[in-house]
Amino acid sequence: MPTARLLEQQNADGGWPYRRGGSWTEPTVYALLALEGDGDSTAVERGLQWLRAAQRDDGGWQARPGVGESCWVTSLAGLLPAERLGAERHRHAIAWLSATTGLESTTLYRVRQWLMGNQAPPEMAAPGWPWVTGSAAWVSPTSLGILALGRENRLHPAPGLESRIDEGRRFLINRMCKGGGWNHGSTRALGYESSAYPETTGMALAALRGCHGRETDQSLAVALRFLDGCHSADALNWLRLGLAAHARMPAGYTPPPGIAYRTVPEIATCVLADGAVAGKCAFWI
Amino acid sequence: MGEAITRRDWLAGSAAALMAAGCARPVHGARPETTIVRAPAYDQRLYDIVRRLVDSHRLAVRGRPVVIKPNLVEFEPESAINTHPLLVHAACEAFRALGASQVTIAEGPGHRRDTMDLAEAAGYFQTIPGFEDRFVDLNLDEVTLVDLPRRFSKLKRVYLPNTVLGAALLVSMPKMKTHHWTGATLAMKNLFGVVPGGVYGWPKNVLHWAGIHESVADLYTVFPRQFALVDGIVGMEGNGPIQGVAKPMGVLVAGTDPVAVDATCCRLMRIDPARIGYLRLAAGEPAEFDESNVRQTGEPIAALARPFALLPQFRGLRLESGA
Repeated sequence: MPTARLLEQQNADGGWPYRRGGSWTEPTVYALLALEGDGDSTAVERGLQWLRAAQRDDGGWQARPGVGESCWVTSLAGLLPAERLGAERHRHAIAWLSATTGLESTTLYRVRQWLMGNQAPPEMAAPGWPWVTGSAAWVSPTSLGILALGRENRLHPAPGLESRIDEGRRFLINRMCKGGGWNHGSTRALGYESSAYPETTGMALAALRGCHGRETDQSLAVALRFLDGCHSADALNWLRLGLAAHARMPAGYTPPPGIAYRTVPEIATCVLADGAVAGKCAFWI
Repeated sequence: MGEAITRRDWLAGSAAALMAAGCARPVHGARPETTIVRAPAYDQRLYDIVRRLVDSHRLAVRGRPVVIKPNLVEFEPESAINTHPLLVHAACEAFRALGASQVTIAEGPGHRRDTMDLAEAAGYFQTIPGFEDRFVDLNLDEVTLVDLPRRFSKLKRVYLPNTVLGAALLVSMPKMKTHHWTGATLAMKNLFGVVPGGVYGWPKNVLHWAGIHESVADLYTVFPRQFALVDGIVGMEGNGPIQGVAKPMGVLVAGTDPVAVDATCCRLMRIDPARIGYLRLAAGEPAEFDESNVRQTGEPIAALARPFALLPQFRGLRLESGA
């Protein structure tokens, strides 16, 4: 039972490690999302306490306590229900996310580039989310940012959220690889086409849930091809989530044998993918 | 009982390196030694070749922990992207034979998050007995904030994994490859993989914004005790480090000064090391990128050098004939 494995790996402080050792924000939130509704309210409440205590004054979360800078894991915390995290904490997290972009989208950076005579490439026209502030936006943190704001916008629609989600989705569409799917970053590097990765393709498709068009269709076809030869837990989880988001998960699909779920995020995301395939997912309730 | 290095040892080592450097270029008491050996294929002969190569550098690792850091990048076992697992295993065995208290293999890939699956696809599980127990994913390791002893980039401090900070010797085992941003990626650039993705993301884009050459030089200064062992049996030319073409070279290059080792590899690749930004930044006094300042042992460069194809923007790096 994956949830039993998650419970076994909870640290004494209430958080979760990646595999062993100290608690980090990412595995803690994934474990909480997977355990929501599992019935072990004590473990979940201890995890929530750890998470609440780790929130920073600016509303974001750091990768782990002590790192001292809010980062992409704030998107994950924003996926937790406000009533579980605390309404004010959740609102603060969504505000931090809404205000965060990749460095290449900031006014200061654009003005500097303009003054130097550099023209921004088209794929930089829409702002996404970075892994850490002070660096560029990438496909994975942008996908998670869209999922967090999308969930919030469905519960509490707001024009500001809507426009930020649209920007993020344009970022993803602009970064789609030729022929469909997503690399972790640019579509090209120094004139060479980048190859799509299964895990980032699945994440981006999950973030583009409800979007229809040529790009999504191409990428769904790529995701289905990846699914056939997938031997990575991370990739398989996200491919299933991405395909389920578009109701394109093949009926009766059985994962290949021998896939190892080693980290807490891999175990927890497997639970979330199972839920998504069955029609219920914490990412897009 | 093995003598484990403590955080205090490591800090003392770093402080000594800093004092020796005087915040300026490190001064070499003797010319750093770099060894080139022929290694025609990834086969059982490697165990003997690597053992002799490592022995020849008289590394003081008896009773101390060693961390081997290969270059694991992509899920393409038939390509020349990743350091070959047989070579990594041969290095493990060589350091065990030298009496290392522990030999850990550790890597933090910059593109893909599923490190263990990556290692499996690259053949590490199949080739190295008990691989999973010997391996640490540096992206997810416990971390410590470290002040950079000599700063070349705008970074002042960097989080680094405790596994590598606790090593008495960090062994950088890159693939001999061209690189589409830096010209060449060798032992020094390989240390990007020790920066934890758990803190900085995938890729570790903070390093790019701080300046790739400068960040490579920064990381070099953090580890006062390194050994570089470059997999040049089959390297990669052209659009490396991922989309290039395999380049059979049949060599291993090793030494305790990564700047000197990288400079020697560049010469083998017919790339001018003096034009590689991070080598210029990190070079000691006298500079290792001047061939006369390196004590070259083993095979002569001229006998094995073959030009690596370069992307058009790097053609200016080409080592002139006779240089």
